[in-house]
This record gives sequence, structure tokens and C-alpha cells, in this order.
Amino acid sequence: MSEPTPTSGPEERRLHPSALVIFSADALRNAAFPLIVIVGATLFGGSLDTGALLRAAIYGGVGLAIAVTVGVVRYQSTRYYIGPEAIHYVTGALSKKVTDVRLDRIQAIDVHQGPLQRAFGVFSVDIQTGAGKKGGEIALPALVPDAVEELRAARPQATSTEPAGDEPAGPSRRLAGRDLAIAALTAGQLGIVVPVLAGAGQVLQQLFDERRGEEAVRALPHSTMVIVLAVIGIVVLAWLLSTAGAVIAFGGFTVLRDGDRLRIRRGVVQRSEATVPVGRVRAVRVVEGIFRRPFGLAALTVEITGYADEASAARTLFPLVRVRDVRAFLDEFLPELADDPSGLEPPPPRAYRRYLLLPTLLGLAVTVGAWFVVGPYAIVALIFGLAYGQARWRAAAWRLADGRLAVRSMLLARTTVLAPAGFRESHTLAQNYFQRRAALADLEVAFGKQTTARIRHLEATDAQAAWSAL
Amino acid sequence: MSPPSRRLSPVARRVWMLTQLAFWGAVTVAAVIVFISAGGRPWFLIPLLVGVTATISVPRLRWARWRWDINEEGIDIQHGTLAINRTLVPWVRVQHVDTRRGLFEQAFGLSTVVVHTAAGSHTIPLLPAQEADELRTRIAGLARTEEVADAGLERADADVGA
Repeated sequence: MSEPTPTSGPEERRLHPSALVIFSADALRNAAFPLIVIVGATLFGGSLDTGALLRAAIYGGVGLAIAVTVGVVRYQSTRYYIGPEAIHYVTGALSKKVTDVRLDRIQAIDVHQGPLQRAFGVFSVDIQTGAGKKGGEIALPALVPDAVEELRAARPQATSTEPAGDEPAGPSRRLAGRDLAIAALTAGQLGIVVPVLAGAGQVLQQLFDERRGEEAVRALPHSTMVIVLAVIGIVVLAWLLSTAGAVIAFGGFTVLRDGDRLRIRRGVVQRSEATVPVGRVRAVRVVEGIFRRPFGLAALTVEITGYADEASAARTLFPLVRVRDVRAFLDEFLPELADDPSGLEPPPPRAYRRYLLLPTLLGLAVTVGAWFVVGPYAIVALIFGLAYGQARWRAAAWRLADGRLAVRSMLLARTTVLAPAGFRESHTLAQNYFQRRAALADLEVAFGKQTTARIRHLEATDAQAAWSAL
Repeated sequence: MSPPSRRLSPVARRVWMLTQLAFWGAVTVAAVIVFISAGGRPWFLIPLLVGVTATISVPRLRWARWRWDINEEGIDIQHGTLAINRTLVPWVRVQHVDTRRGLFEQAFGLSTVVVHTAAGSHTIPLLPAQEADELRTRIAGLARTEEVADAGLERADADVGA
């Protein structure tokens, strides 16, 4: 590892030697599944004797040796140097790959620290340009802190905006203690909850089917009890998982406004730091999840161009804020996009029944279908459809004032998109046959791959005026 | 809000007619097979009738509604049959543009222009191949970066008027 020097001569740099371990671990992880299959098949394919054990050990050893070789080769062949104009990066032994990233094209330098990096006291660095590829255009998985600082200092914008040390230059806020607990308890990450529920449901069904064969009639009341208990158990389990996941993802979440960038740090196991240039933030979303809305709480997420493929946690501005504090929070950290999520205007009253119609029809269809199975209880679906339509109607609202657009809508979570209208990627006015007759129209404003502000059944004249003004 | 003025190639109607015919033809054939093998009432008449109606009416309506134009703000697109959508893609947001030609399009000498933004893509389909190529070049020329637009170098204005 060479000493970082303040002069930016084209001096060659290498990764920290721990990169060897990190690359090897990477290779092992990529090959983990086939390796397990091979070793497992050898072990359990035939009879479990010394020969099979030996062969499995040999295959495992060969796999490990290949992984370590890959690690060594990748470490040996990876070099970079910081030129006066660009960062040059060379990697690969058999097929060489050379990447040049112009210094003034660097949009962000993201720093992560996984468990391995932490063990060695190094950092994984992704150099991001606007190209929007997943991960960095240049990925350096093991750098000592000095090398990270050197990279940061190489950017031409760096002198004015980057602080010399790690001292906060602007406002910062940290999610800790009680707020972290609340954020975790109300996270309700459906991505975790649903597969668990589905998997458990399947197991349950199998159990139930086996039972039926033995004691079909007598088992029924008992089984209902078991199912109810199991469902409660699954929900509690899913909730605990979701909570633990949220703590791991958002523990120590810190947002820091630093000149024209936002620096976001988060994570317990995998610590990561993302630097987001404010100029690339296209829209802010105020997400009021179903568990948070009753308490007037929301998460703030951002749409960043070129970040669409990154993990969703990379797009969180702050995991927990009071809805009435959103304006103040944005004024402090993101005044460029600050707007108030309240005081929006609903669509005209005659749009009301249109919001109700579709979910009610769906509920009715389910009710009719389920009536033959569960009898009058099926009416629940219809009531649910009506209530959902009512909730969507109450959530729908918008405002276009002073070039700022605010659109609120609801699927499960109630989401308000706040953005300067000029940041939109495209905008669409849609009118179906019935809307034309009623002089209503939908307005759709796209801000990025993840964010499209859509509001249905506006007064056609208002929607047209907005379309022309956008 | 007057609709944009340019239309697609008149041949587009024939292409859409063929695609409608292919779709409803397949559905009808499937229904007939079910009828022959399983019996029952001649339900296959429904896709047949719907198919005939759709093949006659949808392409005409769609072609009449499909309008596009490029102006100083961006690319203006209107399309739809029952629902009419009007979209504007501003020049500063155009990332890149390409043309593509499917089987039908090659057979009829047509081409589709696809405009990509950071949020997704928008298509202007079934233009005469040469016009599509010219349009692609023109859009690529008119697409500008935000910095250029902010600096007030409105080179697009001059080009659009030409």
C-alpha cells in the first residue's frame, strides 16, 4: 500500500491486501450453490463411508483453492491511479479491462463497510457516475481510510464542499433510541412478511391435508383452533422478522447535509455511506405506511436519477418523521425540494363514485364467487372493496403552485410525491370515454423509474391547464 | 389544447388490422377446437364477432387518434382508442433515441422510434422507415443536457422552426 501524497501525479495505487480475502469470499459466495450441490451429492448420493467423505473433502478443497486463486489473481491484477484529469482503473488477468472516469464526471463516491471490511479496518468504495449502472462504475472493495480521503480530495468540486475531516459541515440528524425502536416496530416490510406467510401457509395446508385422511370429521373444530393460533403465530413471527430487518437496515441511520451533497450513513451489519448529489434528487416521497399512518408518522424516500437499480435502503432520506414536521425537515436538509404535504386539494366531488366503483366491483366479484364456499360471510369482501375505495378517495389530492407539484395517493401506504414540476421526465394527460363525457381527466407525472405521481379524475380543465403548464 | 398535427403512416392501419386478425384468429381457433372436442354451445361465435368488429374498427380509431409532433418544448404524443393519452417528453429529459423494426414493420417498410428518458421509454410506432430515421437523428440533435438548457443556449428553437 503506497502512501497517499497530496500531489496528484499518476502514481499507481493498489488495493489493501485484505482485498485478497474479500475477492476470495466473493468468488466462494458466487460458486456457493454449485459447490454445495457437488459436495452434498457426493456425501449423500451413495452410502456415507470414508471414501465419500474423502471425495467430498477433495471437491470442497478444490473449490476453496479455486476461490483463493481467483482472489489472488484479482487482487494482483487490480490497480488504479489518480491522474490530473481522470481516475484510471485496470483489472483482469486474462481479459484486461481498463476504465477511465473523468474526475468532473464523478457524481458520488459511496463508501460501504461489510463485516469483512470492518474486520480489516478498510472500506469498500464505489465511484458513481451518472451512468446508472448497479454498483459503482469503478468498484474498489478494500481501501484504507487515507486512500478514501485521497479519492475524495481528487474531485475538483471537493475543495469547496467536502469537509477536511469527518466533522459535520451542515445539519445532521441521527435515528437512534426511541425513534429507531418506533421505526423498526412500524416498518411492516411486506417484502419480508408476505413470503413468510405464504411459506407457512403451504406447510399448514400440507399438515391439514394429512390430518384429513385420518380423522376428517372430528378434527375440524380442533383444526380451526390450530389454524387460528398458527396464523397469529405467523403474524407475530413476521412482525418480529420485519422489526429485526428494519433495525439491521436502519440502525445508526444518519443524514447529513454537506454543501451540495447529502451524506447518508446506515446499517448495523453492513455499514454503508452513500453520497448523493442534491442535483440528482428528482423527487421526495412521503410514505405513510399502514402501521405508521395512525400515529402521524412517515418515512421520507427520494428518487435519484441513476440510482434506480440500487437497493431500496439507498433511496431512504430518513426512515421516520412526523408528517407535520416534513416541511421543517426538508427545509433543513433539502430546501431545493421542500414543500408541505398538507393542504392539498381533492378531486371534484363527482369523482367520488368513480373512486368507489372499481374496488367495489372487484369486492362484489369476490363476494359472488366466495358465496358458494363460505356463505353470507362473503359480504366482507364487498365491504372491504367499498372501504378501500373510500380510503383511496380520501387519500387522493394534489396541488400545483409556484412550480411545485404535490400529489398524494394510496395503494397500501399513503404516499405524497413532492417535487418541482420542472424535474419531471415526462407528463401525461389521460381521459377514457366515460371521463370525456363527465369532463374529468387523469394526470400522470413521471419523475423517475420508481416515482410516478398519478392522480385520477381531476376536473378536465384543471388537468389540461396543469398539463400545459408543466 | 389542440392535438399535435402529425400522423403515423397510413399503412399503420393495415399492420394493426393484421395484428388484430392474428390475435382474434388465434382465440377463435382455440375456441373452435374446444367446441369440436368438448361440444357444448357454439361459444366460439363470440370471439369471432368481437374479432371482426375489432379488426374493422380498432385500427381506424387508433390511427385517427394517433398524433405526434415535436415542438420547442419536447416531443408531444397523443394516442389511444377508448382512453386518450397525451404525453409530453421535454427535450432536456431525452437520454437517447433508437429505431427498431419488427417483422410486420419490415414487411411494410415501416419503423418505430423509441425515445428513452430516465423514467422509461415512449414510442412513436409505424412511421415510414426513412421518416423514422430522420426523426431519430433530429430528436438526438434536439435532445440537450440540462447544463446547456440552463445556460440559455436554446439551439433547439432554431432547429424546430426549420
